[in-house]
Amino acid sequence: MKIIFFGKLRDALGDQSDLAVAEGETVAQLRRRLAELHPVASRDLLNPGVRACVDDMIVGEDFIFGDHDRVEFFPPLSGG
Amino acid sequence: MEVRLVGQPFVADRELAEFTSGLDGEGAVVSFVGIARSLSATGETVERMVLESHPRLTLRSMEQIGQAAIDRFAVSALRIVHRFGTLLPGEPIVFVAAASDHRRAAFEAADYVMDRLKTDALFWKREDTDSGRRWIEPRDDDHVARDRWSEKCPE
Repeated sequence: MKIIFFGKLRDALGDQSDLAVAEGETVAQLRRRLAELHPVASRDLLNPGVRACVDDMIVGEDFIFGDHDRVEFFPPLSGG
Repeated sequence: MEVRLVGQPFVADRELAEFTSGLDGEGAVVSFVGIARSLSATGETVERMVLESHPRLTLRSMEQIGQAAIDRFAVSALRIVHRFGTLLPGEPIVFVAAASDHRRAAFEAADYVMDRLKTDALFWKREDTDSGRRWIEPRDDDHVARDRWSEKCPE
């Protein structure tokens, strides 16, 4: 599955990475795995203000991945 | 309603003139222009600002905010223009204009749109200064400003 990062996370981790996601894995579990893989960005990856987006919808921590091909991670927003 | 996400500098005066010329007898227009600052919140000189956006969802979030303003206030026309990409200090970041029969609705709609753009539009803002780069996150007072518009639950 493609993991796509924006903002501060993109700076630390690049645009995207590929990672096999086990069927039944939740957003919370994926975040913890990413944080272990990328200690440099672990604080941001585990920040509850960072939200996950699947199929153009914000999803919660208990969202379970099925046959999705991408997840995006959004740091806190700052427009205007 | 006109909502645009633009990658090049825009001229706020021209936006306002175009907006006003398309009106149909309204008695009030309120506009706001947000401009890239030359100093960071901690006093460093800003060399450039980078506004990162999402390929689909940023424009959608702006349209939702604009529609919410139209649904909520008695405005007959609304324009939102927001930059993305790299901006230099002094360049406009955002333009909002609202028109209504009487002034109150236009003031409130422009204020509401700006408060929500700060916290709810899909942008990520970075300042590159003479002492490094820093990602900007909404401040507590931005959330307080946005929450002013929250509906109260009936008691």
